[in-house]
Amino acid sequence: MTQIQERGSTHVYKVNKISKEEMESMVARCVYEHPPFCSAACPLKLDARAFLEAAAAGNFKKALQLYEKITPFPLILAMGCEAPCEKKCRLAEIGDGVAIRRVEEAAARCGAARRLGGVFRSRKRKSAAIFGSGLFVLFLAGELEKKAYPTTVFCEEPDLEAFLRRGTDFLDESAFETELKRLKGKDIQFEFSCALTRELLEEKRGAFDVLCASNEVAARLYPESVCIPELMIREDVKLVSDLGGGVMEAAFGAKKAALTVDRLAQNLDPRNTRGQEGAVESRLYTDLSAADKLSRVPMAGARYTPEEAAAEAGRCIQCRCEECLKSCAFLKHYKKHPGLLSKEIYNNTQIIMGDHQLNKPMNSCSLCGQCTVVCPNGFDMARVCRLARQNMVSTDKMPLAPHEFALLDMLFSNGDAFLARPQPGFETCRYVFFPGCQASAIAPETVKAAWLDLCERLEGGVALMLGCCGAIGDWAGREEMAEQTKAFLDRELAKLGDPVVIAGCPSCRKELAGHEGLKIVGIWDVLLEIGLPEGGQGLSRPAAMHDSCGARGDEKTRSAIREIAKRLGCELADTPYSGDRSPCCGYGGLAAYANREVAAEMTEKCLERSDAPYISYCMACRDRFARQGRESRHILELVYGTDAGAPPDISEKRYNRLTLKNELLHELWGEEPREMKLDYELNYTPEARRMMDERMILTDDVIAVLDEVRKTGECIFDEESGLFIARKRVGNATFWLKFSREGDARYLVHRAWSHRMTVVKREG
Amino acid sequence: MAEKNYYTIDPEGKLRCMKCGVKLVKGKAKFLYLDNGFPVELPVCPVCGFVYVPEELALGKVASVERALEDK
Ligand code: SF4
Ligand code: SF4
Ligand code: SF4
Ligand SMILES: [Zn+2]
Repeated sequence: MTQIQERGSTHVYKVNKISKEEMESMVARCVYEHPPFCSAACPLKLDARAFLEAAAAGNFKKALQLYEKITPFPLILAMGCEAPCEKKCRLAEIGDGVAIRRVEEAAARCGAARRLGGVFRSRKRKSAAIFGSGLFVLFLAGELEKKAYPTTVFCEEPDLEAFLRRGTDFLDESAFETELKRLKGKDIQFEFSCALTRELLEEKRGAFDVLCASNEVAARLYPESVCIPELMIREDVKLVSDLGGGVMEAAFGAKKAALTVDRLAQNLDPRNTRGQEGAVESRLYTDLSAADKLSRVPMAGARYTPEEAAAEAGRCIQCRCEECLKSCAFLKHYKKHPGLLSKEIYNNTQIIMGDHQLNKPMNSCSLCGQCTVVCPNGFDMARVCRLARQNMVSTDKMPLAPHEFALLDMLFSNGDAFLARPQPGFETCRYVFFPGCQASAIAPETVKAAWLDLCERLEGGVALMLGCCGAIGDWAGREEMAEQTKAFLDRELAKLGDPVVIAGCPSCRKELAGHEGLKIVGIWDVLLEIGLPEGGQGLSRPAAMHDSCGARGDEKTRSAIREIAKRLGCELADTPYSGDRSPCCGYGGLAAYANREVAAEMTEKCLERSDAPYISYCMACRDRFARQGRESRHILELVYGTDAGAPPDISEKRYNRLTLKNELLHELWGEEPREMKLDYELNYTPEARRMMDERMILTDDVIAVLDEVRKTGECIFDEESGLFIARKRVGNATFWLKFSREGDARYLVHRAWSHRMTVVKREG
Repeated sequence: MAEKNYYTIDPEGKLRCMKCGVKLVKGKAKFLYLDNGFPVELPVCPVCGFVYVPEELALGKVASVERALEDK
């Protein structure tokens, strides 16, 4: 019995091997979290997407709340801002950028103003004084009030209205009234009609923790001082101030100044931990193909009505990079973009003690490489998942359960079912046909027909090698097994005279191409060169060509297959996501073993592209589509006029491989057929068969249990069901059967189940 | 002293060991996995010690504990 070592004890703790730097550089490729271009251009960092979304839905209250996050005086900013966001809006490249400022204005006019009245707000202990008037002073007072600093403004103006007039002449009367009301509602102290002298300022240093002033006042009172623009401070005279400028400069200056006040109030260096301030460059990718409303919504009056503003906001296409999430069922299932998912998977590999919750996701990726092609930045999620799997294996933290069946299948393919023989009549051969383990399992007749055809029409002998290319070990992250398989195949190929490999499957081709010095071609290339055999026929109705993920980045193979289909008379219907962008059928990366649900969604994703029958050139794809009830054919079935029919279950897949091997050994090399018969009769109820397929229980496992019963007599009788129950530990699992029997001659299996834990009797 | 059992099944005299010709009884058993052990009470043959793990238990509780331990 072949057995694979189970993972180590949960009580042994190991450390990781993945380099953090490497993971970080991979994660950095994903631009999902980059801001949209409009927000990136806004020095105040408005969340424009959310703002426009709320406005488009007519929810101006929420829109205003979002806008108020960046400014204490929304209407002043909205009416005075130079709107750098609009110039950077992606729609500006193909039409009019969204009139964000106009929508902001509408929101500031009609969204209810934020009122804190009545609610008790605790104020900070440190206080600030601001000298002067104008937009910077106004905004700074608003920012400090938001941060809950007790703030006093000392100005020359006689009252609040005169104070607010300074620098706001672009407001119409109703806007002025709105903002005056807003100002009155704020917890800011005012000293009016002050003579702003140096003496006054110096005198107030004792009473306040931080002093601030408008550029005008600061420059007049301290003409020698210099303002540092990044910090908005004249350090030599310890005075926070601005540099003058327009509305946006005042608003952004006030933001920076407020942060400086914050730092000073805590006795910290204002240079440190400021985070990223101001406008940034964004590398976000946006698919513009769906944008349709390219012109601005016209204004009936001087400004947008709420309805017009909502319509204009609705033109925003909500820039977001979701290219991979749109195309990959795995990412869609976990609802996470690769940047985030990779970070989580990396963290998972770092857990020494505790739950590895990302094991299942990392094992659910089909390692198909589609994301790398559709991502504008070539994000390679397959690499992340493969590395993480290898890491989990090498630190002995990878459970065997999700991959054990597939790995045992690989060992079976390269063990009991393995065959490597030169063509009869040859010692060594110029070629060897390598159909791949899935082909022998699913369509043995096709394998046989193809090989015999090659033998007949190629010079120099065509050997046959039935086995697994090693992709399974590689996908499972088991580097050692993959290496062993590689060495094994190399030895077998050497015995055949190191022939040129003719691969029947693009994934095998890809895997075997990693062997040093090995020459490999696809059977499709050979068939195009020597011509198609007689008797092949295409499908009678238009079909969809499904490109295998093994052929990603391999345009030559994809067009060779299409050429063959054309010569067979197939009419191919176009599907979205074909060619290099093709999704995986769900078999790749062992996704189907680790996560059936996700794998089924992958298959669904492939099939939703077309209602036509599917032609593929990977047997696993053919099998998964057929299993979903779609008419599905492998290109070689069409070439050789064979039809593998209904998809086999897991036991039949093994049986097919053994039978093909025995049949060929007998027919071509004249060997005695190996006895595969049992010395008793074994049957299954349909329920049992279904159960076995779903629970990954092989007929071999059933036979092992029954052999044990026959040998030891160990079994129990269940009076309730009138059935016998027996079990046998095979490898890392215990298999149980419920069956009826006629003596020792005939068995009918009713139910089958298994578990991985061992169970023992306990004393005491 | 009441000791903790994670699971208890009483065969209620409905199961018979074919090898020993006796009824299975509720007996002490233990599941082991990845160096962790769980005491349970399951149908056990008092003579040969055959421990019965019913289908519902294997696919339910046992499977979920297996998954949890595998990801530790
Ligand atoms: S396509 Fe996916 S991986 Fe690439 S940047 Fe966009 S969200 Fe990130
Ligand atoms: S379309 Fe919307 S999200 Fe995209 S840049 Fe323009 S305003 Fe911003
Ligand atoms: S399944 Fe394919 S497309 Fe999806 S993340 Fe994995 S490699 Fe990328
Ligand atoms: Zn017994």
